[in-house]
Amino acid sequence: MTIRMNRTIAATLLLVVLETCVVPWLIPPAWSDRLFPHLAFIMTVYVAVFGGRHRAFFFGLGFGLLQDELFYGHMIGAYSFGMALLGYLCGLVMKRSRVSLAAVIVMAGIGSGVLDTMVYWIYELFSLAGVSFGYAVYNQVLPTLLLQAFLALLLYLPVRRWLVRTLPSSAADDGPA
Amino acid sequence: MKLLRNKRLFILMIGVILFIALMGFTRGRTGLTWPERFLNDAFGTIQGAFYRPASAVAGFFRDLSRLSDVYRENEELRKTVAQYAQDRIRYNTIARENERLQEELNFTERQKQLYNYRYLFAHVLANSSNPYDRTIKIDLGSRDGIKPKMAVQTVDGLVGVVSRVSEFTSTVQPITELDPNAPDVVEVAATVLGKEGESFGIIDQYDSENHVLQMSKISQTDPIAVGDTVITSGLVNVYPKGIVIGKVLRKQVGDFGLTLTATIQPAADFDHLSEVFVVVTPDVDGP
Repeated sequence: MTIRMNRTIAATLLLVVLETCVVPWLIPPAWSDRLFPHLAFIMTVYVAVFGGRHRAFFFGLGFGLLQDELFYGHMIGAYSFGMALLGYLCGLVMKRSRVSLAAVIVMAGIGSGVLDTMVYWIYELFSLAGVSFGYAVYNQVLPTLLLQAFLALLLYLPVRRWLVRTLPSSAADDGPA
Repeated sequence: MKLLRNKRLFILMIGVILFIALMGFTRGRTGLTWPERFLNDAFGTIQGAFYRPASAVAGFFRDLSRLSDVYRENEELRKTVAQYAQDRIRYNTIARENERLQEELNFTERQKQLYNYRYLFAHVLANSSNPYDRTIKIDLGSRDGIKPKMAVQTVDGLVGVVSRVSEFTSTVQPITELDPNAPDVVEVAATVLGKEGESFGIIDQYDSENHVLQMSKISQTDPIAVGDTVITSGLVNVYPKGIVIGKVLRKQVGDFGLTLTATIQPAADFDHLSEVFVVVTPDVDGP
């Protein structure tokens, strides 16, 4: 199995736009400072699972940078760094296990938790986070983690259907399985 | 295998160093390079096409759920309009009187135009999904005369300040990002509605955990009281005069016991913005 990169990039661009324009309206006001879905990160996990770690690294780097740049407030680089690193790590983990729905969801959930924690510490390093670590974990990281796992579940079928191509096993060299 | 692991670690270290350098460099930078401006404008166009229908649909459903309040709200508004008509007459008289006095006292053109603000209407294009960098994008840019550090408000109150400008879009930094540690944030000089002469303080921090603003450096003899409406004072150049910020929730003695601090509930709702106003101050003595 391998992933169609051109389609994936186009789909992820669309998802980034949706995430910043439509998703804020779907989240109820009481939860709007708790749920921060990152659809580009879920797609990075999918790239890592189906396309290998090196592609995931560059994919995460690029889309992280895009996200940082579009909403450049205090600084650029936190999501870019986190998504590149976690894309690579996800690919590394998936090299040793078989592709399954459960693995993808667990990885999207845990990866999102690690990503948000990492971004928190980067902002805290520059003393810009403004909230305590316990508050951030309880109110932002954990709810977002659950939402991300759920969104990964929702995206699984479309990704399998449209973005993944099954190859004869001889041609699949960098893909898992 | 050992070599490979070392290579990975090496690349990771290089990456960490590069990114810390990048973050340090981009922190507190005000301008944008042309690729950044191009990216912002290109995405801004697409985001606008999605954001506006989404906000319209969401607004419709919110209106439906508020349908029961409409009757009471209408009563309330009718009273306000009656009050407004009276105030309008008084305002016109006083404004004319004020103009005449300025004329007699030989005010310069700059002084006369000082509080003659223009309000530019802007649509919101997108919200950031970064919890520590919550910026808003609007569909006015340098083409429309937007400059960095212009104040942005809704009908309810102050939202923030324009932080970065591209040709067709700009980024707004909301006052929820106020933090004494951030180098790029502009503190708000504030006073109290109805006590403009006597009351003064600086709003320099937003408490993200409790969703309130902190106003500090208030003198001990200040008449500020719980429930007062806090507005911008216009004494520091960035924020124009008289924009509502919020209501005083609590008042307490500050860190060293010499000044007071107040906790303020912001008036504007930062979550679901769809339309904002950019306040343009008259630029009489500018180039």
